[in-house]
Amino acid sequence: MSLAFDDYGRPYIILRDQGQKKRMKGLEAYKSNILAAKAVANTLSSSLGPKGMDKMLVSPDGDVSVTNDGATIVEKMEIQHPTAKLLVELSQSQDAEIGDGTTGVVVLAGKLLEQALTLLDKGIHPLKISDGFDRACDVAIKHLETISEEIDIQANEHEALIQAACTALGSKVVSKRKRELGKIAVTAVLDVADLARRDVNLDLIKIQTKTGGSVEDTRLISGILIDKDMSHPQMPKEVKEAKICLLTCPFEPPKPKTKHNINISSAEDYKKLYLQEQQYFVDMVKLVKDSGANIALCQWGFDDEANHLLLQNELPAVRWVSGTDVELIAMATGARIIPRFQEITPEKLGKAGSVKEVQFGTSNERMLVIENCQCTKAVTILIRGGSQMIVDEAKRSIHDAICVIRNLIKDNRIVYGGGSAELACAIQVLQYADEVSSVEQYAIRSFADALEGIPCCLADNCGLNPITSVAQAKARQLQESNPRIGIDCMELGTTDMKEQRIYETLSSKKQQIQLATQVVKMILKIDDVIAPDDY
Amino acid sequence: MSQFLQPTILLLREGTDTSQGRAQIVSNINAVQAVADVVKSTLGPRGMDKMIQTGPKVTISNDGATILNLLEVVHPAARVLVDIAKSQDDEVGDGTTSTTLLAAELLKEAKPFIEEGIHPQIVIQGYRKALELALEKLEGFSINISRDSPQEKRDTLLKCAQTALNSKLLANTKQFFSELVVSAVEKLDPNILDRDLIGIKNVTGGSVTDSFLVDGVAFKKTFSYAGFEQQPKRFENPKICLLNLELELKSEKENAEIRIEKPEEYQQIVDAEWALIYEKLEIIVKAGAQIVLSKLPIGDLATQYFADRNIFCAGRVPQEDLLRVQKATGGQVQTTVNGLNPETFGTCGLFEEVQVGAERYNLFKNCPQSRTATIVLRGGAEQFIQEAERSLNDAIMIVRRCFKANKIVAGGGAIELELSRYLRHYARSVTGKTQYIVNSYAKALEVIPRTIAENAGLNSIEIMNKLRQRHAQGGEEGRWYGVDINGASGVCDTHSSFVWEPSLVKRNALCSATEAACAILSIDETVKNPKSDQDTKMKPKGQPGRPPMGMRR
Repeated sequence: MSLAFDDYGRPYIILRDQGQKKRMKGLEAYKSNILAAKAVANTLSSSLGPKGMDKMLVSPDGDVSVTNDGATIVEKMEIQHPTAKLLVELSQSQDAEIGDGTTGVVVLAGKLLEQALTLLDKGIHPLKISDGFDRACDVAIKHLETISEEIDIQANEHEALIQAACTALGSKVVSKRKRELGKIAVTAVLDVADLARRDVNLDLIKIQTKTGGSVEDTRLISGILIDKDMSHPQMPKEVKEAKICLLTCPFEPPKPKTKHNINISSAEDYKKLYLQEQQYFVDMVKLVKDSGANIALCQWGFDDEANHLLLQNELPAVRWVSGTDVELIAMATGARIIPRFQEITPEKLGKAGSVKEVQFGTSNERMLVIENCQCTKAVTILIRGGSQMIVDEAKRSIHDAICVIRNLIKDNRIVYGGGSAELACAIQVLQYADEVSSVEQYAIRSFADALEGIPCCLADNCGLNPITSVAQAKARQLQESNPRIGIDCMELGTTDMKEQRIYETLSSKKQQIQLATQVVKMILKIDDVIAPDDY
Repeated sequence: MSQFLQPTILLLREGTDTSQGRAQIVSNINAVQAVADVVKSTLGPRGMDKMIQTGPKVTISNDGATILNLLEVVHPAARVLVDIAKSQDDEVGDGTTSTTLLAAELLKEAKPFIEEGIHPQIVIQGYRKALELALEKLEGFSINISRDSPQEKRDTLLKCAQTALNSKLLANTKQFFSELVVSAVEKLDPNILDRDLIGIKNVTGGSVTDSFLVDGVAFKKTFSYAGFEQQPKRFENPKICLLNLELELKSEKENAEIRIEKPEEYQQIVDAEWALIYEKLEIIVKAGAQIVLSKLPIGDLATQYFADRNIFCAGRVPQEDLLRVQKATGGQVQTTVNGLNPETFGTCGLFEEVQVGAERYNLFKNCPQSRTATIVLRGGAEQFIQEAERSLNDAIMIVRRCFKANKIVAGGGAIELELSRYLRHYARSVTGKTQYIVNSYAKALEVIPRTIAENAGLNSIEIMNKLRQRHAQGGEEGRWYGVDINGASGVCDTHSSFVWEPSLVKRNALCSATEAACAILSIDETVKNPKSDQDTKMKPKGQPGRPPMGMRR
């Protein structure tokens, strides 16, 4: 790339490594950016909807993952192109904020860019296009709010929440068991939710995976599951009415943190030291035992000697419990974490109905289940499945479902899915376009077309004729002025999404439209790309 | 003939590039033009963005200084432009693109004079004279707003912030953000207006309009140890203890060593160490602190100790955040707990840990002597937020300047045209070469409205004609006519349509652009030494690492 030439046609050297840089300007830059971003959107479009397909992604290390989750797909694609990367971040920020609808947002952005490209060809200034998109976006968001409905999340045993979770799970590989999984997700979220503040701390829901069994075996443990076993094989496998002592100090003689060494000059001293060490173990076990604890969980390890003593004193113990687990157990059982043995008091113990070691299938792996905790504030979802890939995908799907439920607790307004909300917005935006006198009306109209792209894409993925079905749905929406008519993806015989109970959160839909518009605006504003030559 | 055979005298190292004379000035001017052309299209409300990839990092920006910086300009004369953009950025924060353009345009106007053989120093003198006159006039034209009521003053600040945001990605939400920026700046101590006390935190996700202002401090949840979740997460009117102290069970001195003679002593040492940390914790608790923040780590022991006593703690709080907490809550950072006095504790109306996007944030709100504010920015993509942050930065700087200077002029090219008109008028009254040069200066000033019009896709020649005519009519009503990108006629009174800028921005822009132009004009020789490592660098390129493709198979 060279910016200028002197009178003899020799280029000026103005920039560092100027020969290895490439520059694209004006229309060329817009088009190249749009095409790159569209390519990403096209990859994802076949994953949209209940009949969307999965992608198989192989990492550089040869790890295979199969997924339908938009954010995961784009993340694992390891996209290099800078504009396409914007779409990756778009999907990830939807994931961070809402957790669901990560595919939809990218597909919508792709459709908007596609429309922008035709507008650019007509010679409309890119900023006019983005102004138009912005205005259309505002109209669409307003309309979404008018068609949204408030639902009662408590009614009918949280039926509405379960339905919303089912919608989120509908497009995933686990869709066959969506009802069961949806129920699990709803119970889990409600267990940890602070309904008064409408706040859900997702850190309190632990998702543990274990290959083997089938997806039906997935269950919710109202307590904690830790991937550890008792420190000694002969310890009892189950402790009922457990009083848990949570320790963050090792079963070892205490060590000063300051650098130290011990000078032993005589045999007696050595013996004394040995005896003292022995005494430590006895004292420790005694302290724990005296407090009334009947199980000890320790963040650190313990000496074999200590282990033996614990067995003799019939005090089951678990070692090397991770810090986060210790915290979760403390939350769930109401225990206080104890930093040294001298501080053990009966009040600091946590209480749980049972602590049980469970074994899976024929494999020798064991896990500890702490159930019926005193104050259930942390829960675990144990996901089972035939293979690692299925388990991983199930984990992602349940995460999506949990996010949807959380969003509904925060804001209980919903819109109906199946492309119906997008269609309703498209109709509204089209009407608005006719009121605009300036050039922007073309952009606004195109925005409506892009919104229609979502139901089109849904219908296409379900094997329906996209144009016919969208046209029918649109006609019925207009005739009956019913914004709930969408695409009958599951072929249930009705296109009214209220009857099909396809619920989506208003916040997710709003976010999708806003984020997609924002990123498209950003891409349209770039008229100059300076990059290394291999770009 | 012998004089032709004289050996050449080697004065400089081999490979040194020298060029001199008039040709050198012209060549420098050309290089500067090329660089200015890159940023040209970012000017004005219809200005576009640039995407620059440097290594794996991609930046999308509209800010002149940022773009020039990322371009990695190596040409010595062109670097001057980068430097003035940077100095404008540091000094006033906005107007970097216009400064660059103005400098380049001044040089472009000077080029024919140089080619015709006018001595560069005469041009420089003329430019300096013109600058002097322009600054004087700028002072006269600017509108003083200091005597207005607080409400009107706030309005003015809002207008200025909006003008700064006009060309940025946030243009469509400028109302929202100008409110945010002005409220943030108003929080500061009006005498100092320390920019560092406005924190900007970026959280991806959400729409830009989800951004919010915290009248106090917000920072991301720090790394926490087990037991953190058991601490309370909400306080009203808490006592906040700020520390620069490690609260961890560890050796007191790095290289200390203990010799223990008897096994009994062993336990004593251990107990002593525990006693040390417990003593510290106890002092804090006794003093009545409810929130403990430290710049250094707070270990798991302390975390659990505090959790047991319903105290919230956060360790490893970044320096600038701790500083802001200090300013906002009125507390003092302590480096020891010995003699901890409750008077050193700060307080705020409400402390809360909340979820923002995927992160949890600690918010300190309603601080009593709030001299600080935090803007939490939301947006769809990392680059988007970064650009938004840069834009807000510009707006904050402008509002700060406005706060201090109290003088504004109308933007949209109006002030440049007015100055240009005045200079043209003046030029007619002088004799000598200066006449031409002042005239050129006047012409160069027109680059700003012309570029704004061009970028907006308007017919710049037509617009310029209209504007010149309006200004030539003189008087009050014609003075503030500038480019209007929305209306059909293309021109409007930018003062009455509230495109306002602090006059300081313009002043600084004129000064630095003229200085830069004069500096470049006065260079008549460049001596460029060869890079000392050039040979070693060139070699690996000459030998390709992989065998030629044809050899394979």
